[in-house]
Amino acid sequence: MAKIMIVDDDQNIVTYLTDIFTDNGYETCTASDGSEALEVVKTEKPDLITLDIEMPDEWGPRFYRKLSQDPEFKRIPVVVVSGLAGNKYAIPKAVASLTKPFDPAELLGIVKEVLGE
Amino acid sequence: MFTKILFATSGSPASDDAARVAFDLANRYGAELEILHVTGVPTRAYSQVVKDVRTGEEVSIDENYLSCIGDELRSYYEKQLSPFTGSCKVTIVTGYPHREILRVARKSGTDLIIMGASTKGEDGKFYRRGMAGSTLQRVAKAARCPVLSVHRPHASYWGGIGSVVFATDFSKPASAAFTFASNVAKEMDAELFLFHTLDIEKGGMGRDLDQDEIENKILEARKRMHSAYVTQMPADFKKWEIEVWEGTPYVEIVKFAREKLADLIVVAHHASDPDLEAARIGSTMEQVIMRANCPVVSVNHSDKL
Repeated sequence: MAKIMIVDDDQNIVTYLTDIFTDNGYETCTASDGSEALEVVKTEKPDLITLDIEMPDEWGPRFYRKLSQDPEFKRIPVVVVSGLAGNKYAIPKAVASLTKPFDPAELLGIVKEVLGE
Repeated sequence: MFTKILFATSGSPASDDAARVAFDLANRYGAELEILHVTGVPTRAYSQVVKDVRTGEEVSIDENYLSCIGDELRSYYEKQLSPFTGSCKVTIVTGYPHREILRVARKSGTDLIIMGASTKGEDGKFYRRGMAGSTLQRVAKAARCPVLSVHRPHASYWGGIGSVVFATDFSKPASAAFTFASNVAKEMDAELFLFHTLDIEKGGMGRDLDQDEIENKILEARKRMHSAYVTQMPADFKKWEIEVWEGTPYVEIVKFAREKLADLIVVAHHASDPDLEAARIGSTMEQVIMRANCPVVSVNHSDKL
């Protein structure tokens, strides 16, 4: 069963996304800041990450840089889910970028396509 | 992957770097190696008198002469031939180099032609200087199999292929080049980098694109790379990355390959492009071949892939 990791400092978003994904048969894990996200990746080894950009301690792109330097994890697809203007340019290698408020159906469509279902 | 390699050589230092790659590849991957040297260009049609390409003299061709050249060639490559464990054939012919190379490749069922990019800089040679690689140009244009060329002395490699850069402009020949690149990467268990350059000169239509426009186009290109190529890859092959940089294509390709410490660059050849400038290898492809830090393979047709 594919596992999706949700990285966002907003607990409401985390709950919302967790519900959407578990309702659609995915396992989930979460991190509330870029600073703890890499450790979670190492433990949970997700198949896909949804990533917020603005987080208090370490923001999305900083976490992404660390992720992309790790040979084991650099290929995990990342979907940016953020309220920041111009968020699609923040992490160019993300497979997709969605702006909050986002359409859950669109997100699910992207996730399904990326995970090859 | 490669069962029959044809190494077309001038039998001189100009081909030494290509020789290194040819012997290493053939040895490492257990391919049959055919060494071809075109020794004399006919002075008149149907004549037995040819001009020896190295001395410039007119000589009469006979079995003896050809077999002498064969021996000379074998001794020139003795150092590589003695440890060579596979099957190796030396073929000496007369004629126009590019024609003979293509003819032999067709007849032998070659999977890969390897040659130096040019004999530029060699004195007293019959080969035309100045026009970088006229033989390579003609061979790459018409070959039914990929053509690997090595231009700079250190643009060589030892030790196997671990990093392949596939540079694409989304053209039709690029799809054939992709098939080759992904086959090589999969078989050699190499990393495959799919690279596209967003041409900011041509694409700008006479004005500078602003950065948001450029980055939008980059995002589009990434998606296009995905749908055009990633979907064609075998599902279990994961060692790939997509990259799109803006700039002048040949510059970005050379820089990117340098950065990724590439062992091989694979590009498409635009032989059938109605745009003569693109079809003449004197375009992105030629620049990449001349400037790359590693061997460059040009793929034209998907026949022998």
